[in-house]
Order: sequence, then structure tokens, then C-alpha cells
Amino acid sequence: MNVIRELPKLSAFVRRDFRIMLTYRVGALAGLFGIIVQVAALSFLGKLVEPSQMPVFDGTRSTYVEFVAIGLCLNMTVLLLLHELSRALRTEQLTGTLESLLVTPTRVGTMQFGSTLFNLLYVPLRLCLFLAVIAIVFGLDLHAGGILPATVLMLAFLPFLWGIGLIAAAAVLRFRRGSGAIGTGVAIVGIGSGVFFPLAVLPAWLAHLDAYNPLAIVLTSLRDALIGDAGWGALTTPMLELLPLALASVVTGIFVFRFFLVREQRLGTLGLY
Amino acid sequence: MFVRDVLCRFGDKIALDGVDLAIAPGEIRALLGPNGAGKTTFIRILCGLTKPEQGTVATTGRVGFVPSGDRSFYLRISCLENLIFFARLHGMRLRQARGRAREVLDAVGLADVANRPVGRCSHGMHKRLSVARALLISPEVLLVDEATHDLDPDGARRIRDLVRRLADDGTAVLWTTQRVDEVQGFADSVTLLLEGAVIFTGSPAELAARAPSDRYVIQVRTDEGGRPPSLAAVQLAVGPGTPIMPTNDAGYFVVAPRDPHGLGVAVARLVNGGFHITTCRQAQSEIEEAFLVLTGAAA
Repeated sequence: MNVIRELPKLSAFVRRDFRIMLTYRVGALAGLFGIIVQVAALSFLGKLVEPSQMPVFDGTRSTYVEFVAIGLCLNMTVLLLLHELSRALRTEQLTGTLESLLVTPTRVGTMQFGSTLFNLLYVPLRLCLFLAVIAIVFGLDLHAGGILPATVLMLAFLPFLWGIGLIAAAAVLRFRRGSGAIGTGVAIVGIGSGVFFPLAVLPAWLAHLDAYNPLAIVLTSLRDALIGDAGWGALTTPMLELLPLALASVVTGIFVFRFFLVREQRLGTLGLY
Repeated sequence: MFVRDVLCRFGDKIALDGVDLAIAPGEIRALLGPNGAGKTTFIRILCGLTKPEQGTVATTGRVGFVPSGDRSFYLRISCLENLIFFARLHGMRLRQARGRAREVLDAVGLADVANRPVGRCSHGMHKRLSVARALLISPEVLLVDEATHDLDPDGARRIRDLVRRLADDGTAVLWTTQRVDEVQGFADSVTLLLEGAVIFTGSPAELAARAPSDRYVIQVRTDEGGRPPSLAAVQLAVGPGTPIMPTNDAGYFVVAPRDPHGLGVAVARLVNGGFHITTCRQAQSEIEEAFLVLTGAAA
């Protein structure tokens, strides 16, 4: 059972989740409509913010809508990845399908990644729509030259998120609960990382902590790239900062998840909800 | 498939204690046992869902599993799509998976509902779909966990017929059940579990031989138009200690004693007492009697 054998199975998960999504068409459309409502709300909020109060990124002052649009894109990605990873096995437990999956020659990691993959592919689509609506309605002025560096930065951020997601998945596997706590946690971290407000308006001690906060590091660099057109040069420092954090996160995540997985298998409670 | 000296413990409770078992190709082995005997734990170990503390589990060939519950499918998508998904997890390419899924749906008689969402299928269809999923890999060993416990007699018979055909084609089948009545005429061999230990292994006939003498239920009425017999009169006729229960139509059920002459004596006494015997039937199957005696649940 090697990686080459496992790869084609991922498309089976994507096909399954796409088919299931098609049965919830109204829900999918409502989700897209929600994005448009969110954009409208942001734009009205943006009118209250004095442009001179907004931070400058690599020499360019942002508007509130530009600032918060990038923040929300990152926040949505973080929330989705953590949520999907942590609940992938839990959802199978609740639907009663986990044991049927486990008796197939499929690695648990493949099940987890496969169950997350459809949303991972679907979310960039939603993010693009989100940004497109903002750009068309409110004239978003992002630099096209920053898109590639921003994408690379996001990809470099994924291993860190993956490790945290595995730890969250282990907690859900062990305690059968915790998905709701992830949403709350991401919202709190988002506020503290400058998703909605510039870091300057946060208390000094919190702004200080953000020097070690991976989400804040990535967010500032994304804004530098997309608003300030800082280019590839702006990536070096955040990449070096992210690397050890990502390594620690992935190693810890794998260890903790495996520990609780083996425990559940030994107790015979893995398939039970 | 063979299993040797399997020990499984959950905390202080020993779920399986040194269980040995072997199934030959083409054999249907029924795994019987009361609730909590360890049947499901045993089958979960064979599937790799639970790890035993010690022991050897060896199977030669592909293992198919039919779980007991009916929540093992994605209810929003069709039977066909479910099977395609599971076939692909077994390593089949999309085209091959689709073809195989159609074949097994046909084999279990579900071809005409292939595109129906699983959530709209009946309980019996779910079970057949479970068997179809196990068939995807043409299993050499089939593990069936309580497949008929909540099916109507016709649905249960269809599943048994399906499994019998597989066994006839050489598949080794382990069939766990609490429906002891279905073992006779279906299983080739029986293993009886009690509190995690094997207390009997042999053929259904050998198990039935462990049953004590039969017990019969005799239904008694008076002649048409006559007065219903009183409980005291029936009791007097058959003698004290013989259980008697009123029926819904002013008659009585008399349970004949278990000694070898119990039935004859009871019938003779009732006839001599002027009672009219309408029916006489075996109270339980021999297998069921043996099950109760061996598990210590007999009255």
C-alpha cells in the first residue's frame, strides 16, 4: 500500500463529495449568496473607516475593503482546513461509514485528506468569487504581480495548518467533540491577528505577541504582496519564520493523531460515535 | 481462514479468551452466542477494526465484510455511486469500478434501483447492498455480522440464499447471529461463544444433540358449544407442576414436561379428562434448546 496506490483514491473522495454536494444544491447556492451579502456588509463598514487610519503596505496605503478582503480570505482558508481536517473522521463516525472505510485497504491519512480535498478545491473557487465580486462592485486594487508570491506563501503556510488540524482531529477523535471550539478559536485568533483591524489598534501586548503568531506573519506578508506589490523579496523573512513552526506543527500533529488513533483501535471504539 | 488463541480485553473485562476457529473454503460457519458473548468483537478483529492483545489471525485471500448496521452507506447518493466509491477504495479504476458495481448490483437483485439514493431504499435492500459491497472484491472469506436480525422472514431468506450461493462457489463464510433457528439447514458448522470463550464447536446436528428431550405446547379447548374448561380442571387432568397458560379464545396452552414420555402422558391425560386437543407443536427448535442449555439460559 504505497503512495502511488493511494493517490487515485483521492479522486474517489472528491467525486463522492461532489455528488453529495449536488444533492444539497440550495445549500451550495445559499453559501455563494452569503459571500455576496458579506461583501456588501464590508463595503458599508468600509465607508465608516477614515482612509488615513489604514496601514501602509510597502509604501501603498490600503483601503479598508482591500485590507479586510485579504484577511477574510486567509481566515476562511484557516477555518475550513482546520474544520474539515478535524471533522473528516468524525463525520464518517456519525454517518456510520467509518468502519466500512476502514475495512478497505485505504490509509487513514488518505481518508482524512480525501475527505478534505473537495472543500480544499472548492474554497479557492469561492475565494476567487469573493474577490471578483469585491473587485467588480467596489474596485479592488490588488497588484497582479503579487498573486504568485501570495499563492506560494499560502502553500508554505499549509503544512503549519495541517499539523494544527491533525491535533484538532486527534482531540475530536478522543473526545468526540470540539468542532465548535475550532470555529471559536479561529475567530479569536483572527481578531488577534489583524484579520478585521490593523494590528496598531490592538493592545500593545497583543501586537507584541503577533511577532510570533504565524497567522499574523502570513497575513502581513500577503498584504505586502497584494496591496504593496512587494514582490518575491518580501517572502524571505516570513518563509524562514514559518519553516520551523511548520515542522514542529506537522511532527506534533502526526504524533498526537497517531497516538489517539491507535488508542481508539485498541479499545475498539474507532467506528463508534 | 484460521484464528488461534485470540485474547482481547477492554479494561478489566475479557472480551475474548483464547478463541480458536478455522473456516474452510465453501464452508458456512455460524458464530452463535448471547448478547455480550464477544461475537462482534471477534468479527471486528477479523476485519482489522480492533486489535487483539494476543493471538494469530490468518486469512488467505480477500476478505469481505457485511456489517450489522444499515448506516454504512452515504444515504444521499445512489446505490451505484456508493459501490463505485468503495470499489475505488479497493484500488479499482473508475471504469472498472463502475462495471464491477453494476455486476454486483445485478447479483444481489438491485440492478433496477441502481440509481436510487440509498436513503430511499428499504431495510432489506440496504442489507443486500451491504452484501453487494462485500462482493466487489470477489471475497474468498466473507464475514457477516448479524445480517438478518431485523429483517422479515422473506428478507432474511433472500440474504441467506445469497450467501449460500457464494459459499457454493467456494467462499468461506463466518455468519454471526442470534437467530439460532436459522442455523439448521443453512450453516455447515457452528461455534458457540459464551463470555468470550468457545464452549461448542461442531455441526448443527451435533449441537442439536446437546438438546434435552423436547418440550411441546398442546392447545386445549372444550367441544364446540360446551362450557370453557376451568384452569383447575385442566391442571387436575395433567397433574400439578405442568405449566398452563390461557389462550385468547377461552382455551389453554399446556406445556408438556421434558421427560421422554411427557408428551404422550400429557395427551392421554387430557383426552381421558374429556378435553379437546386442537394443536400440538414443538416449543423450540432443538438448536434453540441446545443454545439455551449450553449458555445456561434454559429455565
